[in-house]
Amino acid sequence: MSIIDLMFQETDPDKIRQEAEANYKEYVNPFALRMLKNASLDIIEDKREGASVWDISGKKYIDCVTGAGIFNVGRRNPEVVEVLKKALDKYDMGSWISLFRERGLLAKKLAQITPGDLKFSLFCCGGGEAIEVAIKLARAHTDRTEILCMENGYHGVTGFALPATGRDVYKTPFLPLVPGYRHIPFNTLQAAEAAVNENTAAILLEPIQGEGGIIPADDDYLRGLRRLCDEKNILLIFDEVQTGFGRTGKMFAAEHSGVAPDIMVLAKSLSGGLYPLSCAVFTEEISDFLTAHPFIIINSFGGTSLACLVALAAIEFIEKNNLPRNAAERGAQFKTGLQALQQKYPELIIDIRGKGLMLGVEFPEESIGPRMAYQLKKNGVISIYTFNNPRIIRIMPSLVITKEEVQTVLEAFDHSLAEIRNQEARFKR
Amino acid sequence: MADSEEIMEALLDFQNQCNENKRLRRMQRDWTKLLHYVATDTGDVFTMRVVSGETTEVKKGKEGVPDVIVETDSETLCDMFWGDINPTQKYLKGEIKVKASQEDVMRIDAITAVIWPEV
Amino acid sequence: MKDTKTNAEASTIKEDALKDFAKYVNPQKARILKNAGLDIIEGKREGARVWDMAGREYIDCISSAGCFNVGRRNPDVVAALKAALDEFDQGVFVFCHKPQADLSKKLAEITPGELRYTMFGSGGGEINDFAIKLARGFTLKTEIISTINAYHGHTGFSLSAIGREEYKKPFYPLIPGFKQVPYNDLKAMEEAMTPDTAAVIIEPVQGEGGIHPADDDYLRGLRRLCDQHEAVLIFDEIQTGFGRTGKMFCAEHSGVVPDIMTLGKSLGGGVYPITAAVYREELGDFLVTNPFIHLSTFGGSDLGCIVGLATIEILIRHRLPEHAALMGERFHAGFDRLIPKYPDLLLETRRKGLMMGLQFTNPSIGPRMTYQLAQNGVLALYTGNDPTVMRLMPPLVIKPQEVDRVLEALDKSMAAIMAQGGVEKY
Repeated sequence: MSIIDLMFQETDPDKIRQEAEANYKEYVNPFALRMLKNASLDIIEDKREGASVWDISGKKYIDCVTGAGIFNVGRRNPEVVEVLKKALDKYDMGSWISLFRERGLLAKKLAQITPGDLKFSLFCCGGGEAIEVAIKLARAHTDRTEILCMENGYHGVTGFALPATGRDVYKTPFLPLVPGYRHIPFNTLQAAEAAVNENTAAILLEPIQGEGGIIPADDDYLRGLRRLCDEKNILLIFDEVQTGFGRTGKMFAAEHSGVAPDIMVLAKSLSGGLYPLSCAVFTEEISDFLTAHPFIIINSFGGTSLACLVALAAIEFIEKNNLPRNAAERGAQFKTGLQALQQKYPELIIDIRGKGLMLGVEFPEESIGPRMAYQLKKNGVISIYTFNNPRIIRIMPSLVITKEEVQTVLEAFDHSLAEIRNQEARFKR
Repeated sequence: MADSEEIMEALLDFQNQCNENKRLRRMQRDWTKLLHYVATDTGDVFTMRVVSGETTEVKKGKEGVPDVIVETDSETLCDMFWGDINPTQKYLKGEIKVKASQEDVMRIDAITAVIWPEV
Repeated sequence: MKDTKTNAEASTIKEDALKDFAKYVNPQKARILKNAGLDIIEGKREGARVWDMAGREYIDCISSAGCFNVGRRNPDVVAALKAALDEFDQGVFVFCHKPQADLSKKLAEITPGELRYTMFGSGGGEINDFAIKLARGFTLKTEIISTINAYHGHTGFSLSAIGREEYKKPFYPLIPGFKQVPYNDLKAMEEAMTPDTAAVIIEPVQGEGGIHPADDDYLRGLRRLCDQHEAVLIFDEIQTGFGRTGKMFCAEHSGVVPDIMTLGKSLGGGVYPITAAVYREELGDFLVTNPFIHLSTFGGSDLGCIVGLATIEILIRHRLPEHAALMGERFHAGFDRLIPKYPDLLLETRRKGLMMGLQFTNPSIGPRMTYQLAQNGVLALYTGNDPTVMRLMPPLVIKPQEVDRVLEALDKSMAAIMAQGGVEKY
């Protein structure tokens, strides 16, 4: 019997867990497993549906991590799954050099739904890879080298993306990196104005900093950056990897401010949580460089036939079910509920912020983030702290989450906060 | 409750374990930190200095500006230094307080994991 | 959906597709494909073959540089992915997943020597970036040595290691601390290495560089040099892995075990992007102290890992590495007949298993051969870093009759070029 058959036939949850943990420890990363176990995040995902995921033991959780925004259309969305299955009856990845009808269609769709003059798409696999494309295009298009990026920003861990990530722990062991990146404080227009010079190629930022602690950019700040970029012929790049596809209550976070970037980077929910796909969407002017050098950035896995079909299906689902609106409404419900909890636990909750269903709850000290994640999991909710700022717990559920499920999450927060309050009291004694 | 001599004995043993473990020394060779351990019940404070992965100094008393402060009761401190407990679990349950970056919290756990993989 | 459209239907769809592609993807790419006779919209795919929408059949010798080792749209891989879709999605990347754990174990079993732990990615460049980062993080050194004409991908670390200026120039400055030395030249490597060398990264057969297999002694020498300098030896087996060269991994030919091996392409069975870096236990220590320092949302997803497991099983069950060796020899015999027939065009052929390169006498022949071969029912491309070399990398499931058909198409295509007056001698 084949290993695949065995995999699908084994139903004893204890056996599955045992084997998974043994192999993970021996062959993936023993310490990562230990940390997951310590944090009680040693979930082995079994059934997935809507906003929920079931551990192999049968316990149900509401997934408020969703891989930082991969599952906007819900976990294992049946409609998108159907499209992928159907596609598999006819397609494979496709040869990278071939002309894909579905790649053209997806690029056209993206040109339609993204703001401003964004028009051409270059497809990749991972979010970081698409950030690389954006930065390379900026350098090549402007003939300048310097990239302005934000303190505490997060853009990925590959070569051109890593230096833009605004936190040293990701970078120090790998120095030296690509030169020419400068970090400025987020949401401070003056800092940007002071930092630009005749060698500035681009300003790169997330419209809402995700790993940095769910910090939305002010609309005026973004408008100011747009003006500054226009004045100095600098490209404005929005990393909408986490904020895109309805997450913030609009299809793209850029729409809140009405500012259209010159390059927008998309990944995560672009492909419905089923297939690796990312892309950089850019203006016609910027595309000239790639017209002159059509094969200067190539890959075999970016924008495969299957990926493009899945993405088209995912976007259709988002539009058909108006997920941006649900994100806005459920987000508002979350905010109201969390504000009530802030009243109840004023010593624990410092701030609640975010847009739509990209929310962050800030605690007064670093240890509370991990401890809250631990408690929330006990209460049936999966959430983790933001990578660059452990004081913030993130709430990023699927956009299909229902009113009742939001209520369940809020109750879990209440119970968890009560427990943390007890712990703190015990300690102060 | 453990008195300061018991804690010191445990801490010195911990220092030996750390320094004698070649793999750990190599892994931690980019880690230079000053740590304070505070016994909340007895009020004792201990200082530990790690330079490039080598624990160069442990002593009773508070010295310098710490990168990491670990606070818990004296028994738990001893248990931790003897390798009898999983400190991260205690940390997540709010029984040990660590004032440090999450990276340093992870490093401290990594030390335990390497010396006492079964804990 | 029908696989074959009427000619009129097919050409309308093709026109529309070309238009969208030109308008929203890249106009010049569309134009080049059209000119090269490669403006094919792939319809049915099976084994070593692919059909365009009008039903015209081609043998795929491009295989996306080695993505389709188990064949186009392999039914067993498709079945595994479909079954997986009944239960899984990508999964949340930070968690422990059984498919990921199982695939890691499988990779530890089939890769040579003590290679053991696996980090997953979704792109080839991404995983080479990780390998180079791991080398720097583990050794606390900075210098990375690669080879001239090497190809490792387009992300920052990989691009810095690429040995071709054209890919890099518009994007300068790149990462400091990289240098390139001539391939297959042990003395050059010996001279380049210093106490600060963190890693040597190398393809055991240079792919984009023009299908140049490394000598066994060269690889053994590299192993020795890396041991001497406490540097990490990285084999980029993204194109050469999974049976392509007649062994499961190309490293097996020389018996040299690297410290990190990067894999991609065919690991995804031709249906799903997945890449992996397999490394020795000792290097794993760096990721004990920094377990989440390198993250990949899409890497090691449940679906990708199940596809990887299915692909490896098919490779082993059907003994595809051995089959690749046999088919490679059949090609070789054919090449030996072609060289004396077209001395003005064909200089030599280089080969390891079914990773084959035809060395032409002149760079203009590559593009013209691509066009001619497409007319004769074979898809093939010249290598990215050297247009004088035509690369042939058919799916490993290619049948003897299909090998003969490719050889026949080569013969006809070269005859056509000679009939057009041949080429100017360089």
